[in-house]
Amino acid sequence: MTRLEMNLRGPEPEQPDRWEAQLRKGAVEMAALASLWQGRLYGLEIIRYLQTHSQMALAEGTIYPVLNRLKTEGLLTSEWVEAEAGHPRKYYSLTDAGRNRLREMAKAWTSFANGLSRLLEPVLNEEEKTQ
Amino acid sequence: MTTEKQMDSYLATLRQHLAPLTLGEREEILREIAAHVRDSAEQSGATVEAVLARLGPAEELAGEYRDGLLISRASRSFSPIVLLRATLRLATKSVSGIVVFVLSVFGYSFGAGFVIVAFSKMIFPSHAGAWVQDGRLVDFGAFLYGTPAGAHEVLGVWIIPLGLIAGSLTLLLTTFLIRNSLRLSRLVQSRL
Repeated sequence: MTRLEMNLRGPEPEQPDRWEAQLRKGAVEMAALASLWQGRLYGLEIIRYLQTHSQMALAEGTIYPVLNRLKTEGLLTSEWVEAEAGHPRKYYSLTDAGRNRLREMAKAWTSFANGLSRLLEPVLNEEEKTQ
Repeated sequence: MTTEKQMDSYLATLRQHLAPLTLGEREEILREIAAHVRDSAEQSGATVEAVLARLGPAEELAGEYRDGLLISRASRSFSPIVLLRATLRLATKSVSGIVVFVLSVFGYSFGAGFVIVAFSKMIFPSHAGAWVQDGRLVDFGAFLYGTPAGAHEVLGVWIIPLGLIAGSLTLLLTTFLIRNSLRLSRLVQSRL
């Protein structure tokens, strides 16, 4: 069965873990930009940074196409830097446009998340009572 | 297979599937992925084979690069060909993509249709127009053979500016519809 046919059958009831995975994946762009807020990093460092700071475990292949696209959009720049012992690494940093975009994203994200949290309050309160 | 061979074969597959990109873009990607594999293996103590497995199949990785570039370029483009190609790609991914694709094809066809009718009026004045019979519009457009019998044409030369305006508006609207859907689809990355 091809992916197209699967989609044509309409939305399938999604597993919660799959939903969470999609949610995380949807935030990859913002997360990648945010990891560079304090300075330049190379791909593997970005992956590690996201793991340690947000428990966002990405498949290693996910981040590179995203970085590539953010660069074509002018939000990131990159430079090859020779490591002391070893091979050159491609470092990414935010452009001014990237910084501005990230500021906008952070505002939009926070107001969205706050709204949703208010919406979910009754759900979580009830859970506390029953426990 | 030796580590070096595994790496070479992975990069060769990646190169092959990145063919639509420019040479510069492609080599840059290969260089970065090669550096990643070396670093990741060194720093985590994993074998090259394990790192390559974590990266996922080279075909899929290349696909993500291609989709990302296609869509981010198209969302800033005005070219119908670029935009239609991107929507076609979207249509293979989701139901909303199919809807956007169908709407785009309709939009472009109608837009082009209006413009063609306007130009036909300039070249073959008697073959293009809007025909009305008993107070109802019975036909609109440009006709190769004859015109609707029993009806009379109402717009005259006004069909030229009207066709051009309606055509350009429809084409513009279609362009912005596609560009906005592409932007949205980028935000909802899980579908890509």
